[in-house]
Amino acid sequence: MTVTEAPRDVVETAAAETEPSTPTGLAALVGSGDPRAVGQLFVGTSLLFLLVSGVTGVLTGFEQVDTTKFEVVGSDSFLQLYTLHTISGLFLVVLPLLLGLATAVVPLQVGASTLAFPRLSAAGYWVYLVSGGLIVAAYAVNGGPFGGDSEGVALFLAAMVALLMALCAATLSVVTTVIALRAPGMSLRRTPLFSWSMLVGGSVWLLMLPVLAGMLALAYIDYTYGQRFLATGSGDIYPRLRWVFWPPTLFAAAIPALGIIGDIVPVFAQTRHRQHRAALFLIGLFGALSFGAWTQLGVSGAQLESLTPWLDSEVWTVVCTAAVVPLLGLLLLWTATLQAGRPKLFSPLVLAFPAGALLLGGVAAGAASAHTTLDLFDTTWTSGAAYAVLLGTLLAAFAGLVFWAPKLYGALVPEGVGQLVALLFSLGTLVVAVAYGIAGVLDQPTFTTPPDGLDDIDTIELLNLVAAIAGVIVVFAGLLFILGLLRAGLGRSRRRPVADDPWSGNTLEWATSSPPPVGNFAELPEITSEAPVYDARHRAARAQLGTEAAS
Amino acid sequence: MATEAVELDVFSGAPAAPPARPRVLLVGTIFAAGAASAAIIGMIALYTQMRADTIAGGDTWLPQEAVVPLTPGNMGMVTLLMSAVTAAWAVYALRNDDRSHALFALGLTELLGVAFIVNTAYLWQGMGLGIADSAQAELIYTITGAHVAMTGAGMLFLLVMGFQALGGQLTGRAAEGLHAATLFWFVTIAVYAVVWYTIYITK
Repeated sequence: MTVTEAPRDVVETAAAETEPSTPTGLAALVGSGDPRAVGQLFVGTSLLFLLVSGVTGVLTGFEQVDTTKFEVVGSDSFLQLYTLHTISGLFLVVLPLLLGLATAVVPLQVGASTLAFPRLSAAGYWVYLVSGGLIVAAYAVNGGPFGGDSEGVALFLAAMVALLMALCAATLSVVTTVIALRAPGMSLRRTPLFSWSMLVGGSVWLLMLPVLAGMLALAYIDYTYGQRFLATGSGDIYPRLRWVFWPPTLFAAAIPALGIIGDIVPVFAQTRHRQHRAALFLIGLFGALSFGAWTQLGVSGAQLESLTPWLDSEVWTVVCTAAVVPLLGLLLLWTATLQAGRPKLFSPLVLAFPAGALLLGGVAAGAASAHTTLDLFDTTWTSGAAYAVLLGTLLAAFAGLVFWAPKLYGALVPEGVGQLVALLFSLGTLVVAVAYGIAGVLDQPTFTTPPDGLDDIDTIELLNLVAAIAGVIVVFAGLLFILGLLRAGLGRSRRRPVADDPWSGNTLEWATSSPPPVGNFAELPEITSEAPVYDARHRAARAQLGTEAAS
Repeated sequence: MATEAVELDVFSGAPAAPPARPRVLLVGTIFAAGAASAAIIGMIALYTQMRADTIAGGDTWLPQEAVVPLTPGNMGMVTLLMSAVTAAWAVYALRNDDRSHALFALGLTELLGVAFIVNTAYLWQGMGLGIADSAQAELIYTITGAHVAMTGAGMLFLLVMGFQALGGQLTGRAAEGLHAATLFWFVTIAVYAVVWYTIYITK
């Protein structure tokens, strides 16, 4: 047998010629399963949808200023815009933004080279993008809840189901990464708080979002075939999914925010987190209490008059009230951590601090609405509580983006932008929540015009005006943040590269370069606690001190 | 006969082996199965509450013309239980590198899955309920349809993992993919047990 061989240089030249070129530009973006790229896509798209949610919120806010007539968007569009504002706020902005952050950061925090299912995450993003676009398009053709176009309404329902499946897919990849891809030495007890909170929050989402998807699938079939379940057609859709905006279900969206704050506070206090295990427990407890899929039974009856049969249930009251306890515990731990260290007031901490306060206020207000004796449920008190929780979560996500911008974009968000956004966003949110809260005490119902005969209608209208103006400030702050992030993301090549660990961080993501290379880590430090980079830094400092003392 | 060690320079520049990813598929499957179950259990909760509300109002739950036969529902349950045995057999055979029995058991599992879907389609035809006839019909078709979709996903998962196993990628101790697919299949059967009891037994 004769074997013929080509000379090595010929083979290598031929191999180089036939080797497929690495995709660049749009092709690289579309085909990427890189966690950082997918995370960036989630973050960027959710911030675009933030503008949609913000503008519709401002429009509906001003529409409620005069409670006697519809002048801004008209009576037909008001309810549709209101539902677009709330639905896009939760499902197109808050959850995807947190997922985007987690997709990029969690593999770094747990010392993994990539996500557990990078292609699933990428698929989740693209389905989210398409279904999110279809949801907005459905509203544009007079569909969605309270819509008049039957095909538009059906499109909304189908797109919502697809969106929820996409969010579940991306969540699945993140929680599996935390469970299965942690670096050697990193037990669950040593997991960084953001990764832990994504594990807890993601698990709750994976058990809750499919329940909503099942309900919407049923609504789609009913709307298409018979409209017996949805007796008044598209007008019945929103009342049947409102349980996700009520306590305790709404609290589930805030779980990762606790982890973000918990990771930021010790870094800027320049110390370890006090009682890290207690923080893990409290986040887990908050997650368990916020699992509210069972409350969907309150809006499932054939008759919408009996919307909340569980409203009188003591279980509901106890669960909502108990959810305040872990949050209080976490705030105490963070205060203790700040007291134990030497706090540096950089923008991540300045953003995280009001986020924590808003979350506590929102959860406490939500718990108050669960007490039937106070008669606050389904008034704008509930809306104020929901705004505090969701915008507080959004502010925490902003804090996370500023904190981890070196890992996501290889650049820092300008410090002034972060501080200004913290001030405007938190103040605006506080005013919106408080104004709606007081209007709720005065019996203003949520998302409908007040009934005739209310005594304090002038006060309510004034409060609505204040809330609408504060809403403009919140949207402006959001826009400012987007511009700051764009400057960081797009302008990095014009500035000197950011340090690998610009904040002197505690957890593993600060042990690699900014931005991280493919595979994330060349080598990992020894993991003997929840703060391995802090340990390594202090070990080195102690060793240097020892050397100097000896010499 | 002693063999001489030969250094193969062709491998010297090869990239390092990818890091081991233990339990990734199994953990992901546990979460996926939990999510799929939550969707169907959530719908069943709606079904039971609406039924309770209707009966409390003095009406009968199912319309007069509706017939929900017991036999096909029972057959579905028995079929899936048998498939649980064959799926477990496939895993056992694969762990012992018994590829021929693994192939046979996987084929049987897929066959029983197809039989279950055919059985459910037969049941739908025999119920005398149009999907647009009543809210009850919509609920029954949505719940059982969602479960058939879950069954289809389970069969596809078993098929893909079975092919990988039989192709030599997931044999012996590394048969995690087939473990994951089997776990999903077991959860599918457990969810059907709830559907069977709620819709076919208690009606």
